[in-house]
Amino acid sequence: MAKIKFILNNQSQEIDTDLNRRLLDVLRNDFNLTGPKEGCGEGECGACAVLLNGKIVNSCSVPLANVVSKEIMTIEGFSQTKRYEIIKEAFAEMGGVQCGFCTPGMIIATESLLRHNPHPTIEEIKIGLSGNLCRCTGYNLIVKAIQQAAKKGDGLW
Amino acid sequence: MVEAYVPKNLKAALEMLHEKSLRIVAGGTDMLIQNRNRSGLPINFKSDILYVFDLEELKRIEEDSEFLYIGASCSLESILENKLTPELLKMTILEMASPAIRNTGTLAGNIANASPAGDGIVTLVLEDALLEIQSINHLRREKVQDFIQGVRKINLNSDELITKIIIPKVTFDKAYFKKVGPRLSDAISKVAFAGAIKFEDTIVKDFRICLGAVNIKMVRDSAIEKKYIGKTKKELQGLISQILNDYSPLIKPIDDQRSNKEYRKQVSLNLIQEFIENL
Amino acid sequence: MRDISRSINKVDNDEKMSGSAKYTADLRYENMQYAYTLRSNIAKGEIVSIDYPKLPEGYFIVDHSDIPGKNIVKVIYDDMPIFTTGKISYLYEPIALIVGPDKAVLKKLIEEVKVEYKIEEPIFAWEDSVIHYEFSKGEGKLAFDKLQTVDFNYETSYQEQAYIEPQGFVAYMEGEKTTLIGSIQCPYYVKNAVIQALGVREDLVRVIQANVGGAFGGKEEFPSLLACQLAVAVNKVNKPIQLIFEREEDILVTTKRHPAKISFRAAIKAGKIYALSVKAGIDGGATIGLSGVVLSRALIACTGAYTIDNLDVSGDVYRTNTVPNGAFRGFGAPQMFFAIDMFVEHVAKTLGVDPLEFRIKHLAKQNDFTSTMGIFRDPILMPEMIDRALKDSNYKAKHKLYENDGSYRGIGMSLFFHGCGFTGSGEQNIIKAKVRLKKSGDLVEILIAAVDMGQGVKTSFRKLVAHILQIPIERVIFNNPDTDFVPDSGPTVASRTMMIVGGLVARAAKEVKSRFSESEFIVERQYEQPEYIKYDEENFKGDAYPAYSWGVNVVEVEVDKYTYQVKVKKAWSFYDVGKAIDERIVIGQADGGLAQGLAYGYLEVMRHELGYIKQKNFTDYIIPTAMDMPPMETHLYDNPYAFGPYGAKGVGELSLIGGAPAVAKAIENAIGRKVFKIPVTSEYIMELINNGEN
Repeated sequence: MAKIKFILNNQSQEIDTDLNRRLLDVLRNDFNLTGPKEGCGEGECGACAVLLNGKIVNSCSVPLANVVSKEIMTIEGFSQTKRYEIIKEAFAEMGGVQCGFCTPGMIIATESLLRHNPHPTIEEIKIGLSGNLCRCTGYNLIVKAIQQAAKKGDGLW
Repeated sequence: MVEAYVPKNLKAALEMLHEKSLRIVAGGTDMLIQNRNRSGLPINFKSDILYVFDLEELKRIEEDSEFLYIGASCSLESILENKLTPELLKMTILEMASPAIRNTGTLAGNIANASPAGDGIVTLVLEDALLEIQSINHLRREKVQDFIQGVRKINLNSDELITKIIIPKVTFDKAYFKKVGPRLSDAISKVAFAGAIKFEDTIVKDFRICLGAVNIKMVRDSAIEKKYIGKTKKELQGLISQILNDYSPLIKPIDDQRSNKEYRKQVSLNLIQEFIENL
Repeated sequence: MRDISRSINKVDNDEKMSGSAKYTADLRYENMQYAYTLRSNIAKGEIVSIDYPKLPEGYFIVDHSDIPGKNIVKVIYDDMPIFTTGKISYLYEPIALIVGPDKAVLKKLIEEVKVEYKIEEPIFAWEDSVIHYEFSKGEGKLAFDKLQTVDFNYETSYQEQAYIEPQGFVAYMEGEKTTLIGSIQCPYYVKNAVIQALGVREDLVRVIQANVGGAFGGKEEFPSLLACQLAVAVNKVNKPIQLIFEREEDILVTTKRHPAKISFRAAIKAGKIYALSVKAGIDGGATIGLSGVVLSRALIACTGAYTIDNLDVSGDVYRTNTVPNGAFRGFGAPQMFFAIDMFVEHVAKTLGVDPLEFRIKHLAKQNDFTSTMGIFRDPILMPEMIDRALKDSNYKAKHKLYENDGSYRGIGMSLFFHGCGFTGSGEQNIIKAKVRLKKSGDLVEILIAAVDMGQGVKTSFRKLVAHILQIPIERVIFNNPDTDFVPDSGPTVASRTMMIVGGLVARAAKEVKSRFSESEFIVERQYEQPEYIKYDEENFKGDAYPAYSWGVNVVEVEVDKYTYQVKVKKAWSFYDVGKAIDERIVIGQADGGLAQGLAYGYLEVMRHELGYIKQKNFTDYIIPTAMDMPPMETHLYDNPYAFGPYGAKGVGELSLIGGAPAVAKAIENAIGRKVFKIPVTSEYIMELINNGEN
């Protein structure tokens, strides 16, 4: 057991727990966040994706020990931002949401991608999404949604 | 309960390694999956853990006239984005895993994991990369090729830590990495190929081939490479069958849930052929 | 009035995007317990003894001895026990649940259980036929007399549904009532199975659908097994219990698409296929469940998109000591359409005639007899769809060029249909769907058992009712089905939801409209089969389906000369689904189905070795990522079906059926070899190229 301080969704947190736990479990069980989900537990599906210091990571593959003093943002935190609103509208307009299980992860991937590359090509979008599995959409409408978000959100990223 | 040690600096890390019996975790992308527990339970590590991902001293990328020095805790993504990183290594990293895994995975972790299918390892072996390895009282360097002794077998003492990956600076006229996986991204290689060549006028000055996932260790043979130094490009291309014959006995792949030996063998040879044909 | 097809934003976008939509694993209850499953580690044999460790207080074993009702999971062919009484017939067959409050303790307990087996030799060869069907059309076997024949055999493999949300339930007691909340497609399948397992009155079981993170048939009948196990457990333990699979367990033990072997013989007369003989076998796994229906659908599809006058058809479901197989989008049709669409083209090549012309020559037309002597009553737009496909993709020029230029590029076209709704008289005799609309003041609530698993049922049904009633969609309510409140409108399967259930809802809505001034009332409707749909299930005679949706896929690929890897460059799809209730939702279904169909054709590899599934996680079972999927262009055709709402027919499965044959044909065009099995892996391509012209 050890004390650990980090920022979660813009709020400082300090908890006393086993640092050999997966970040995903800490988020879901200690903080009752349901946005990050367990789809595979092996870092393949991206349903557990969160932002760690602004970059996408699979929280099922991040040990809590590596979160010391870092900034974690889950979909719950990101959905409070203006950039989220743009992404949300684009996904809705383009039909990028079906069962929704991969969706928070896809949106985290979108944010991580656009922060790094505000005007990606289709190829770059696909690379940005390559760690997020979707079984429902065949990806085309998600790619279109991200193109739309990049266009409409010009200046935000 | 398994302990977690999060040292504040490199010196503290080396002291802990000296005093205790610890396994090292950098980003965790391999270690957490290999030691998976049931959902919700702490990671099923078999020994106490030393976490090194956040050691500042290991996050630098620097160069001098001879070498590029990549800190062992640099994430794959940070290496990819650094302008000092050679093109071949960038090409390789881009084929590894996914953006999320590249944000916390490290090259040192890839090496220490010593999977025969480790993409990063193929390129580092091609580049004659070395590791800087430290313990509390000692610093040494070892070629990656020698450091990896077998499947998940590395030449690392219990009190040692990889601190840098050192890549000799060399320019190539053509350097190429090709990963052959079951899909176009985020997959474990069936075959991994790296090739590099340098000409002076039209004469081969430097010629290197390295294959991964087709034997217990990376396939690189400097004796074969030397045979073709001094040939012209045209001669080299005329000697493709001989080159393939040279490499064939070194390629001893296996059947597994991902592929079979016939495929791995033939594709390895095809990739060597493709590289030389397209010079 | 706006055309109903015009897309609207889906009603559940916000909650899904923001992460606030709750799936089964997100549900928390006070005092919630966990359940792990003890499973066999042999493929065939008998349990000789089980030695359980001493259980701490608050921990329970739940096994067959705790089942108050019948130890059988109610499906169709009822041969799956809830917990084995000793006999083991597949690896990881469930033996018991271990239930308790602390997962670490559960893990330790389950590792300490010692099971002794009497091991028997498992059967993996396809020899034990449990279900055998056969039928003929026209002259049957006699039609082959004295004619030239062409023979080919085809093989298809497992496919894993790979929904991103693994299976699971939460169960709790409310007094005497057992409540289950889970990731399911069929609330009433689950309820009826649990009633039988507990042996209780129907009002003592309640089943609620949680949000479902993908299903594709994998959550059609399998959840009934989990639900029965958990229902028995929760009655014993009397505290809420959560049972969620992790990915490896999910892949190892849940139902998959049936592997198939299909042999054809065609008799040629006057340049056409005069008669076709079909022999099909599918691997049912250890228990048969609904494998018989999968076989039926496959056999009925045996002539593909073509009309062949004389048929001699037979098929078998084989029992093997492997994980039981079950429903997966397409349900027997993907296997058969791959085989028959390849076969007709292979016959053409053998005869030395142009395959495209040959296929068009055989294309089914309106008023033709189907394979079972039913009638294609409605217009078939395939010629128009094919013309458009040829034009948009520049198919003919490309096909010729790729055949000869050695570039390893290829283009292929598949032609297919999907029979909408349950096969034969299922709707009439078994399901008897019932729907209810409830008006309360300003609001109208849709009460049906249809599950939104991503295909947009919530949106399309609210839209349908709002459109008919001419009220804003916000005034139409549709909550996740709860069997305490909704009638049994049937399972969310077989591409029946919009066509059949939507059809009933539309008719009910029209009645609501006529009484709209009344404040509080309920309208109910029950399914009535159109008079003319008559089907003799035993003899495979008559109209197997009330309606058919049709499709054309064109796929272009590039095969890497050195690595034999396939890159799908572009795909064009043309679908007649009657009428799209929401165009963007249908396009989404089309894209997703095509992705699954393509991957079934070239990417997804799953094999078992001695009953052990070798690709048991997402690292080894490869499904497409965004980088694997091509740009997709889809065009929908209006062709209204009289009994579907606004003319809608079935959508959900059609788009999965054409992907595999289209990509297989494109690969044939690229490498100049015939393909006989899927998935067309790089390894298989290398083998085909090395083995020379075929």
